[in-house]
Amino acid sequence: MCIQKLRSIFVAALLFAPGFFAGAQAQEEIRIGAIYPLTGAAASTGLEMRHTLELAADMINNGAKGINMPLAAGGGLPNLKNAKIRLIFADHQGNPQVGATEAERLILQEKVVALIGCYFSNVTATASVVAERNGIPFLNPESSSAKLTQRKLKWFFRTTPHDDLFVHNFYEFLKDVETKKGFKPQRIAILNENTEWGVETSRIQVRLAKELGYNIVESINYPAKSTQLTSEVQRLKASNADLLMQSSYLGDAILAMKTFKEQGFAPKAILANDAGFSDTEFRRTLGKDANFVFSREVWAKDLTTQNPLIKQVNDLYAAKHKTDFNGNSARSFTGLFVLADAINRAGSTAPEAIRKALSETDIPGNQLIMPWSGVKFDAAGQNTLGRGIIVQIQDGEFATVWPFDIATKDLIWPMPAWDKR
Amino acid sequence: MTPKQRNTLIVSGMGFALVLPFIVSNPSHQNYLILVLMFAQIGVAWNILGGYVGQVSLGHVAFFGIGAYTSTVLLVSVGLSPWIGMLIGGVVAAFFGLLIGWICFRFKGHYFTMATIAVAEILQVLFTNWEGVGGAVGLYVPLDQQGWWAMVFNSKLPYYYIALGLFTVTLLANWAIEKSFLGYYFRAIKDDPEAARSLGVSLTDYKLVAIAISSFFAALGGSFYAQKELFIDPGSVLVTSLSIKMSLVTILGGIGSLFGPLVGSVLLTGIEEATRQILGGSGMGIDLIIYATIIIAVAIYYPTGILGWAKRFLRRGKKAEDGA
Repeated sequence: MCIQKLRSIFVAALLFAPGFFAGAQAQEEIRIGAIYPLTGAAASTGLEMRHTLELAADMINNGAKGINMPLAAGGGLPNLKNAKIRLIFADHQGNPQVGATEAERLILQEKVVALIGCYFSNVTATASVVAERNGIPFLNPESSSAKLTQRKLKWFFRTTPHDDLFVHNFYEFLKDVETKKGFKPQRIAILNENTEWGVETSRIQVRLAKELGYNIVESINYPAKSTQLTSEVQRLKASNADLLMQSSYLGDAILAMKTFKEQGFAPKAILANDAGFSDTEFRRTLGKDANFVFSREVWAKDLTTQNPLIKQVNDLYAAKHKTDFNGNSARSFTGLFVLADAINRAGSTAPEAIRKALSETDIPGNQLIMPWSGVKFDAAGQNTLGRGIIVQIQDGEFATVWPFDIATKDLIWPMPAWDKR
Repeated sequence: MTPKQRNTLIVSGMGFALVLPFIVSNPSHQNYLILVLMFAQIGVAWNILGGYVGQVSLGHVAFFGIGAYTSTVLLVSVGLSPWIGMLIGGVVAAFFGLLIGWICFRFKGHYFTMATIAVAEILQVLFTNWEGVGGAVGLYVPLDQQGWWAMVFNSKLPYYYIALGLFTVTLLANWAIEKSFLGYYFRAIKDDPEAARSLGVSLTDYKLVAIAISSFFAALGGSFYAQKELFIDPGSVLVTSLSIKMSLVTILGGIGSLFGPLVGSVLLTGIEEATRQILGGSGMGIDLIIYATIIIAVAIYYPTGILGWAKRFLRRGKKAEDGA
């Protein structure tokens, strides 16, 4: 292939691409920029979130039969003469600098009225600063770094709970278990992987334990790609811990469980932190050995039995994409609805009006597909009504066991010893 | 090209660069110009070691990261202006470069390259776990203080001129090196280390000089990045992909030549931004495929880089003229 040919293809792409966009602009529309990792290591997650955002936009624009959700009647946003939502996607490739560049382009060239994204906390960090400087509202549905809402930004709003709150949930759960089962852990051990997430989680877990009066006897950070965890597990055994908190990716979560069994390490409970433990593969590989593990989650499929809305929306999505919602996609979906709700209440696409409407957001929990009490932002832009849930693997399936008011099954406590199963 | 022609070209290029942001007024487009200058600047820094001395480092992001972290930590903790923090960062990086060089210059060729990758990876892990510098969460540059002293601006214009200034200073330093005895020593080390040594050029000493200068300027680029994006974490200023990009702009533009990194950066950043803007939203990675194809094509058809090709092209044109 000669260079000339390549060059002509490239030039052709340059010339024709704007044509695609121009055609769609004729109708009254609300342009929202969505910045997600569409290529790179997190591409599959990014694509999933893109699908759910498109589903949300489609429900608002064209309606969804039988789903009783505000704005889901179709026909766009009523207060803006039924203007339709138009999503303009950009790929940040997991790179904070690219995220900022794309945010700038969406605001200045694509003239979006609001931004949504970016999943990665570090990309959200840079992209939201661009929005702040340009005075454009930024809604973040999925990044969990606590720092993001400590920046005192005026234009930044986050619907998901952050890492601090998630770890808080662990301790709230323990408190509730204490009331219900009369068990208070005396010796807590922590086993977390050693990249950004695990290290940060350890730090918060230790800090909150001190504040809330729990005793941490051992805290281990191990390399996530480790092929054996024997010495780590021996340390755990020696610590005589009665409760283990663990943050692992898939491979290491499986390896850890196998090593626990080999070495007979059985605390009263294993409290895992989402990620590897939530993966279908975790249960498939370990089979019965995966039972009784608790995991902190943001969403669970069995919640569909509690809230009819969750089942309806999930069915709609599953029919099209042959897979269920998960914690990420459910949060992205919710994020766009919160943003659309604010734009509708603002009755205008002026950024300041949208910002004001966002800050006045008050959506009750029963209108959401999340296990939250609702959406209401504090002065820092953090949703104060969000919360995580705790699921437990029972008979190979995830069951929501906490908060108790939305639990689908009672928790099994303590975890039986390995030889007594 | 005669020296006179060359000077005219440089002066008019500089003049053009000075007025460019007034022609390109959309801040989003100005942002691309800043990116071009930023990657060109760190490319030039890389080129001093990789191009002139032939010590290919794929861990240069370590110095970039040290620069970014030093100025930002000093700004966040004691409120020191990034202008001073930037220089301190440069000095810290230069010393770190000396240390790394002292260890890694024992390795030759590919082994040196591998050692530099390892150093950068180690640094990334260290910074991820070092709470004093924000650890995994990263560091935010406060937005409340703006202006020249704080190096935080709402407009793109100041960033453009700072990037242009940094690029010019780095280029001048490179030019001074090229013209001085160092330039000859460096090239001698690259072309025939044994011969250079037999003539009394200490290989290790001059490689150390090169790595110190190269690290210093790479660190300045890091501080600038931090002030531009206002947020740094190990995932943004200590990633391997950035090391590769520094070397890529130089190699594509013309390794071991003064303006190679600029040409490479214009090309690479241009392709990257254009393909991503047009096709990135599709989520199918077409932009990256095109991007990679162009890089491969350049590597095959212009192995001496775009600048090397242009020089040959000009020379051929001149010969034809002489013949006529």
